[in-house]
Amino acid sequence: MSGTLRQMLTCHWSARRIQRYLDSDPAAPLTPGEVARLEAHVAICEKCSAVLKENRALGRALSLWSVRRRVDPAAADRLRGFLEDLTREPRL
Amino acid sequence: MSSPPGPDDDARRDEFRVYVEPEIEVLLRVARAMASNDADAEDLVQETLVRAYRSMHRFDGKHPRAWLLTILRNTNINLHRRQRPLVVDDDELLRTSRPAFGTADQRSAEDAVMDLALEAELEAAVASLGPKFRTVLLLVDVHDLSYTEAAAAMGVPVGTVMSRLSRARNRVRRHLGPSVLIRGRLS
Repeated sequence: MSGTLRQMLTCHWSARRIQRYLDSDPAAPLTPGEVARLEAHVAICEKCSAVLKENRALGRALSLWSVRRRVDPAAADRLRGFLEDLTREPRL
Repeated sequence: MSSPPGPDDDARRDEFRVYVEPEIEVLLRVARAMASNDADAEDLVQETLVRAYRSMHRFDGKHPRAWLLTILRNTNINLHRRQRPLVVDDDELLRTSRPAFGTADQRSAEDAVMDLALEAELEAAVASLGPKFRTVLLLVDVHDLSYTEAAAAMGVPVGTVMSRLSRARNRVRRHLGPSVLIRGRLS
């Protein structure tokens, strides 16, 4: 297999895992072997390195983009009070 | 006639409070995306708490947030007597989520103008997504739900969350372009 083809295949393989790598979500973890292979590839592949940086930047931007429309504190307090009352009653 | 509560009941009530209380704000945020206004969202969470309390004997103690989000979603469906895929067809999540760049520190007028432009670009990129893709992006990347929690809230498998999320992010990334993401102030 030529070096170029191998590189393309590794780029394709990496592209399918970069988001899972950044998310580290417990529902879909990469294996240690996958992490090592991905990091080794990104270290030498300009294109995949750029994709990883862009994904990381997008994640940061969205995490700031917030909710954070904070919930109404009064509503949260009312619900906490409701929870307190509810759990004083026997279950139906 | 129900028997008087015993020590086990007391322990389970305490356990229920421990599981549920930290999730109230998340439930309210997601409920706000499902309901048409704040009052309906609060009612929806209240009804969810009642249903969760009644069914806590079936809860295995794992993933309380996902468990509660599933009940929230089912409660919403039952209350409306129709399937309403979460939801964000009505753009509520988008309307109630806004960029917050530059809010944490003092910024110059030029910085503020630049931030507004970038915010607008990000907002336009997210708004251009279809509802299913926008929803998963907002739930996971803005509201910080895990794959499992987003799957529970949307009523879809985790694999569907992952594939929609991947496509949504790639579309937003391409929409913005590297100049905005890396050299711009979104990074």
